[in-house]
Amino acid sequence: MENPAIILWIPIVIITVMSIMKLLNKGGPNGKPWIRIEKVEDNE
Amino acid sequence: MSKHLALRSGNPALQASTFRDHLSSATEGRMTLSGTVNKTAFALVLVIISAGYSWGNPIMHALAMPSALIGFVLALVTIFKPTISHITVPAYAIAQGVFLGVISMIFDAQYPGIVVQAVFLTFGTLGALLLAYMSGLIKATENFKLGVVAATGGIAILYLINFVMGFFGSEIGIISGNSNMGILFSFGVVVIAALNLVLDFDFIEEGAEMGAPKYMEWYGAFGLLVTLIWLYLEILRLLAKLSSRR
Repeated sequence: MENPAIILWIPIVIITVMSIMKLLNKGGPNGKPWIRIEKVEDNE
Repeated sequence: MSKHLALRSGNPALQASTFRDHLSSATEGRMTLSGTVNKTAFALVLVIISAGYSWGNPIMHALAMPSALIGFVLALVTIFKPTISHITVPAYAIAQGVFLGVISMIFDAQYPGIVVQAVFLTFGTLGALLLAYMSGLIKATENFKLGVVAATGGIAILYLINFVMGFFGSEIGIISGNSNMGILFSFGVVVIAALNLVLDFDFIEEGAEMGAPKYMEWYGAFGLLVTLIWLYLEILRLLAKLSSRR
């Protein structure tokens, strides 16, 4: 094995990606959306 | 109501009664997350500076064991007298830095480059678990805490037995051996050490929520520092085992 540290980076990268995906999906069907587009009425 | 149902940590510095014992004595400012982060960063800088200094100065090598012992005494003082942790924690960081510098130099002489890898892996783990904690991917539930505390206790007992066996010229093979079992054991210890970071985050968040006194920021930083130093040493050991098989 040329660089044993590479193996140890794999779980770190997986946890990071999963955390980011969870943060991005927090606004899914059950959560609050990151961006909410509301219809603007004429008199607003 | 607090979401932290009960404080439980594998880290002996961070126990359930720690905040309760000090809540009533608060007279000045309150503990905050940002304050704890700043103090942790300051303590880490002290560790890195003293480690760098001891690495580069052969005269400091004789101080490795005394500094480890001083660090242990300072850790005990911090645990039993958190009110003076603004003095003991920076001193602990400097003492542990001297010890880590010498240990790291010895490992790097044997396996060049592993210290840099271990440092990056330690901070990488810290960042990943902080993100996992913030996102809610890993939650410090009661069962999680119980599992991590039990596993940490088991490791501590195993290390203690190994330490005692050392006096009789014997040792537990998997702790220092580079067999498949030895590597698997070290990897398991690294995982447990990393999961202790989650308990530390939970402890610090709890302290800030409960309005613990300002000096507990230093105490929270100390808890995180103890875990990070342990994690770094275990990663270093694991990398050394893996490198020795090349």
